[in-house]
Formats: sequence, C-alpha cells, structure tokens
Amino acid sequence: MKNETVALGPNQVVGAPVPRPQRSASVQTYIPEIAKGLGITMKHFFQNTKEMAFGQRNDPVLEGIEDGINCISYPEQKRPYPARFRGVHRLTQREDGAPRCVACLCCSTACPAQCIHIEAGEYPEGDPRRGYERFPKRFVIDELRCIFCGFCVEACPVDAIRMDTGVHAAPYDSREQFIFEKDILMGFPGRDGSRLTGNSRHEPGEGGHPGVDRDKH
Amino acid sequence: MSLTLISFLLFVLKAFVVVMFAMNVAVILTWADRRQGAMIQDRVGPNRAVAWIPTFVAQGLALGPALLVVGAVAFALLKLEPPPEELGQRAMLFSQLGILFTWLTFAVVAGKVQTRGPQSSLDGWLSGIGDPRRIFYAGLIAHFLALFVGLALNDSAFGPQIRALGYGCGAGLLIFSVLGGAAYAAFSIRNEPRVGLRLAGLLHPAADGLKTIFKEDFIPPNADRLLHSLAPFISFFPALVVMAVIPFGDTLCFTIKNGGLGSLMSSMPRDGVCQAAGSLRLQVVDLDVGLLYFFALAGTGIVGAALAGWASDNKYSLLGGVRAASQMVSYEVTMGLTLVGAVMVYGTLRVDKMIEWQSQNAWGIFVQPVAFFLFFTASVAESKRIPFDIPEGESEIVAGYFTEYAGMKFAMFFFAEYIAVVTSAGLMSAIFLGGWDLPFLYRDGVHIAIGGTVLFEQGLPHVLVVVVGALGFVLKTLTLCWLQLMIRWTLPRFRYDQLMRLGWRKLLPASLANVLATGLIVMAIVSAGPEVGQFMALLADCTKAFLAIGGLGGLIYFIVFLVKPVHKRQTLSSSSAQYAIAAGGTRSSRMSA
Repeated sequence: MKNETVALGPNQVVGAPVPRPQRSASVQTYIPEIAKGLGITMKHFFQNTKEMAFGQRNDPVLEGIEDGINCISYPEQKRPYPARFRGVHRLTQREDGAPRCVACLCCSTACPAQCIHIEAGEYPEGDPRRGYERFPKRFVIDELRCIFCGFCVEACPVDAIRMDTGVHAAPYDSREQFIFEKDILMGFPGRDGSRLTGNSRHEPGEGGHPGVDRDKH
Repeated sequence: MSLTLISFLLFVLKAFVVVMFAMNVAVILTWADRRQGAMIQDRVGPNRAVAWIPTFVAQGLALGPALLVVGAVAFALLKLEPPPEELGQRAMLFSQLGILFTWLTFAVVAGKVQTRGPQSSLDGWLSGIGDPRRIFYAGLIAHFLALFVGLALNDSAFGPQIRALGYGCGAGLLIFSVLGGAAYAAFSIRNEPRVGLRLAGLLHPAADGLKTIFKEDFIPPNADRLLHSLAPFISFFPALVVMAVIPFGDTLCFTIKNGGLGSLMSSMPRDGVCQAAGSLRLQVVDLDVGLLYFFALAGTGIVGAALAGWASDNKYSLLGGVRAASQMVSYEVTMGLTLVGAVMVYGTLRVDKMIEWQSQNAWGIFVQPVAFFLFFTASVAESKRIPFDIPEGESEIVAGYFTEYAGMKFAMFFFAEYIAVVTSAGLMSAIFLGGWDLPFLYRDGVHIAIGGTVLFEQGLPHVLVVVVGALGFVLKTLTLCWLQLMIRWTLPRFRYDQLMRLGWRKLLPASLANVLATGLIVMAIVSAGPEVGQFMALLADCTKAFLAIGGLGGLIYFIVFLVKPVHKRQTLSSSSAQYAIAAGGTRSSRMSA
C-alpha cells in the first residue's frame, strides 16, 4: 500500500501519507542513543585536543576540508586573500620613483563613488616628460567612500593605479585618517613586494618610445 | 601545644584544602566547559588570556624548579645512603625515572623543533632523527631493557655492580634530562623581548573573575533589596559546605609521643586501625549522619534559587524560580531513594565507612549499578544543568531566576552551579567509585590476589599509600565532572513536562524498585551459607581485577591513540592556498597553540 493517493481529514486533502519513523527499541529507551551521542562527542573532543596539543591541527586553508579544528584565530592568524582580491589602492612608480600616473582623470571619471580627487601638474622645464605627459600634483582617495569596485584600475590607461596590495581597508579612529594622499598611496608595495608594475613602459627619449609630443602634434 | 589546639588548626587546614579544591575546580570548570564545547564543535574556544612576563623571569621559572629537583636528587644520591637491601628498589626506581624523563624531554624538544624548524646545531641534530615517535619507541625499549636487566641480574654474581650502576646512572640521567630540558627552554627564549604565559588558556577564568568583581551591581528598583542580595549567598554556600563530609583520603596515622602527635607511621598493617588520638582523618568533619547532612544542605540550595526568582520583581525570574524549586524538589526524592539501596548494602550513613566497605569488597558501581545511573541523572538535574536546565531556559524565560542579576552576584549563581557539579561528583566517586580506594592497593601496599591465590605482593610506606589514594579520589572526581560536561555538550534540553515525567514516572519508580531488589538480594545473601559469602568475595576480587585490567588496557589504548600518526590531505583549490604555501602554511602562527 505504498505511495497510494488517499484523501485525508474533513477537507479531503489529497496526498501521499508520510510514514511514521520506525523507532526501534533502542531509540525509545533513549539510553543507547545517549551513549552513542556521548561517544561521538568524546571522539571529537579527544581527537581535537590531541591535535591541538601535538601541533597536528589542520592548516585552516590548506587542509580545510579535513575533519578537525579549521577555525582561524583572527587577527593572530589570517587567511591569505586570493590573488585577485581588491585591497587598498596603490599608485605604481616608475624606475626613477616618479608616479606612473599621467593625471588623465580617467579613474576619477570612472569612479562611481567619486572618491578620487586629482590635481594635475606639468613637469618642470627641461624634464623630458614635459609636453608629453602631466603628473598628479595631488592624488587623493577617500577610502571611506571607496566601494572597492575596481573600476579605477580598469579605467587607467598607464597601469598607474592598482588594488593588488593585499591589504584590506583598515579601521581608523577619525575620518581624516581615511583620506589617503599621494605619498601614502605610492608607499604601498604590491603583494610581490614591488612598487613598480609588471607592465613595461618606455620613457620619452628611450628607444621604442613613439616620440609623440603634445606640443608638436 | 595542646592536642585540642592542634586538632583545631588541622580542622581549619582541612576545611581550607577542601574549599580551595572545590572552588578552584569549579572556576576551572566554568572555563573548561566552554573550551571543551568549542573543541567538540571544531573550534578553539577561549584560550587567549595571556600574562606577559619578562624573559629573565620566564627563564627563572624554567630553571628554578629544575634546580630544586636536581638538588633533591643530588642530596638523595650523596647524603642518603640507602640500606643495602633497599638498593635494588632504589636502583630500579631511579633508572626507570631517569629513562622516562630523558625520552620525554627529547621527544618534547624534537616535537617543538619539528613544528618551528631547527634554530641551532642541537636542533639540527634532533631533526636529523626524524619522527619524534622514534624517541618514544627507543625510550620504551630502554624501559624494558632496564627492567629486564634489573630483574634478571639482581641475584647473579654481578648483582651489586648492576644495582650500583642502575642507581648512579639513573640519578645521572634524571639530573641530565631535567636540567638539560630546562636549560634548553631558557636558551631558546633568550632572544624574545617578553614571554606570554598562557597555561593553555587557564588565565581566562581568572580574568573573568576579576572582571565580574568590578562590574556594576544592579538591583531592580522594585526588588526586595535584602532578599535579592541574600539569594546568591544562600545558593552558593550549601553547595560548598557539602564537601565537608566527603573524605578525600584515607586516615593518616601518627605515633603518640608524650601526649601529643608524634611522627607519621612509616607503614601500616593491612587492616590497621589507628588509635583515636593518633589519627588524622582526611575529612573536614566526622559526622555519623554524613549522608543526611548532604541531603539537608543540598535541599537548602532550593531556597536560594526560589528566593532569587521571587525577590527580583520580574515575571521571568519568578517563573525560573518556581521551575527551579519544583525541579529540585522532584529530583531530590529520587536522589534520596537511590542512595537507600547503597546505605542498605554498606550498612552505614558515614561516607568514610562506605569507602572502607568498598575497599574491602567491591566498588559501589558493581554493587548498585542501577543506583549509580539513577543518582547520576538526578544529580545532573539537581545542579540545574543541561539537559535539565529549564529553570534558566534562555529560549523561553530569558535567563530564568538570575535574569535580574549582574556582576559578582550573577557569577555566584554560576559558580554555585559548578560547585554543585564538583560536590556531586565527589559524592558519587565516594559512594560508587570507591573514593580513595584503588584496586589491589591496601593500607600495607599492593596486594594482588584473586580468591585465595596471591599473585603479587609489595609493601609500600603509609604516606605513599594515602597520597596515591587521595590522588585517585581527585582523579575520579575530575573524571565525573568531565563526564557531566560531556553530557552537557551532547544532549538538548528537556521540555518541562518531559522533565517532570522523567522524574516522577521513570526515575522514582526505578529507584523504589532498586530499593526492593537490593533488600531481597541482601536478605538472600545474608541468610545463605558461608559458601555464598566466599563466592561473593571471589566476585568482588574479580571486579577489582576487571578494574585493574580495564585501567591498564585503557592506558595502553590511550598511548596508542596518542602515538598514532595523523594523515591530512591538502586541497589546493584557490590562489589563497598558493599564498599560504608560500608563507609556510597558516597553521604555524603564534596562536596555533
């Protein structure tokens, strides 16, 4: 008589009756089940205590799928962020330490939170870059406004702004401390420890540089 | 000094020891409860409390006790020349201890080196050994070799040389390993600016205790101020003073010297009874009504909970107080009736006499197994702990009878609960697990015999027997406390009607049936002939053998469990894992414990 459709109750509800669970004698007397439960509790307790004491506990990242203690004691222990994690911004540098940023305002235009403020400036007279590109006199990011969408990184034509520091936005005491000026942003290294980028760049005057000049064209 | 003054001072000392034991264990339990719960659920739990101490203090803490041990061993070696007939025993003791401490030190250091990487040439040599388990295996072989050589060659021509060798080398190994281990620890922390003392997180309850003392002591505006303040004390003290009738060790016997207590007896005959004047019972008070005192005071604890509920001027508190009172009254009945069977068998209400009966016959858990089970259940209910914690059922009535308490008064209710756990565990270990009695350990020493056949005999000094017995009592009490915590983390809370049904319809009839069955069996055994008595004595010896073999088997199983290697599979499914590998894993940080 399995799965037969019958009408139930005064409203003649139609449905397959759900069978009552078969409760064996050991379940109904309750005690064997308590013993079983206690056994499981103790197994976990002894195993985890042993692994803690002998330094055999799981590496929460590498062995996180195994049984045992997988929790991370933040902030003493930290889970490494994935490679494409968008952390605090940094401004990349050229070989000579100047910012790669050419103050084109692409990032501040693309920014949906409008948290980037750039004041462009000309290189001084005699600098080979003068007339070819500008530099940011001020480059300010309000990290409190930033929504970490990464649009600025996408927008940048010269790979000058990146979010590969691997540092998440830290909490500070006051709003002023979230205003990151150019020198702070240029101070952050990437996760590989470098303040440059992997993308090559030809400076004006070098071989391979197209020699395009804003004043002449 | 007169004898009365001495006995008064001893009374104060014993009361201090017992109160300190109960309170300290309770404090540790408040933390261990949370820590165990976390570990069971694969978390770490509260272990972050840390006291920073300067490096030189830490080095002193490592070296000081080691120097004391070394001094004691050297003193024993140089000044206390053992009598020739005892040299064999001493040699065996020292060589085994020396081997034990040597492999233990090496294994601990090798384990440390394995997790943190070698830092010195000694570390390099140790990591060259490979798995620290090899040190354990080598130590085990050395233990058996020393035992075998000592036993085989003791009576041969080389006997004296072997004994002297074992005595000297054993003491030398002991000194070397203790001093070497401490020096290694002091050396390896020399570059640390400060050292964190964590004690596996044991500082946590101390920090919590300090915190609760300085918290605001809030009394609701319409509450009865006097009763509200009195209630925590009324529930706290009965739980604590119950320990007074539970003996924590066998009677210490003294010689009598010109009207006062002389020195301790060096050894006792097997059924030796001390003279009344020359004995020190390791029990705070001598009460002929011992067990009744326990129930009288345990009943007083109800008043505290009910009063707290009533005096708080809060509906939830009142409900919690009423629940607590009804639950404790209900389960008190079962508790009392279960012990009637035990009292019938032992023929006394004095707890120390009960333990003596168990030491001469069999442990109470074999004589009254049903009573043990019922009493355990009822005492968990009596201490208002999970699965019987409906008086404070958070999901229904906020926090029950201590909803309106804060700070130290709240902590006292909590504390009372844990002290009740300790005292009920102490009582259970005294009545059902033989108290300070250990299988085959009698007043004169170890005496293994089944029926009439003696298998092994070894005399032991009086003090050693009493101390080992007291340690056994502490161990049994802690095990029962731990079992109650395990139950707390295993079972869900009962519903109120289920609780009442379990108490009145199941446990109470079962305890009555237990009384009836016990009475019939006791009658039958008493009226049967001496053959039955002899058979029962044989059965009692078998229970002791069962306990001894079971304990030994459990120990071996535990060691195998500890040594068994752990295999973990690494799953590298993310770029986080690549970064973690490059950093040498996330496990080996300061908090990895």
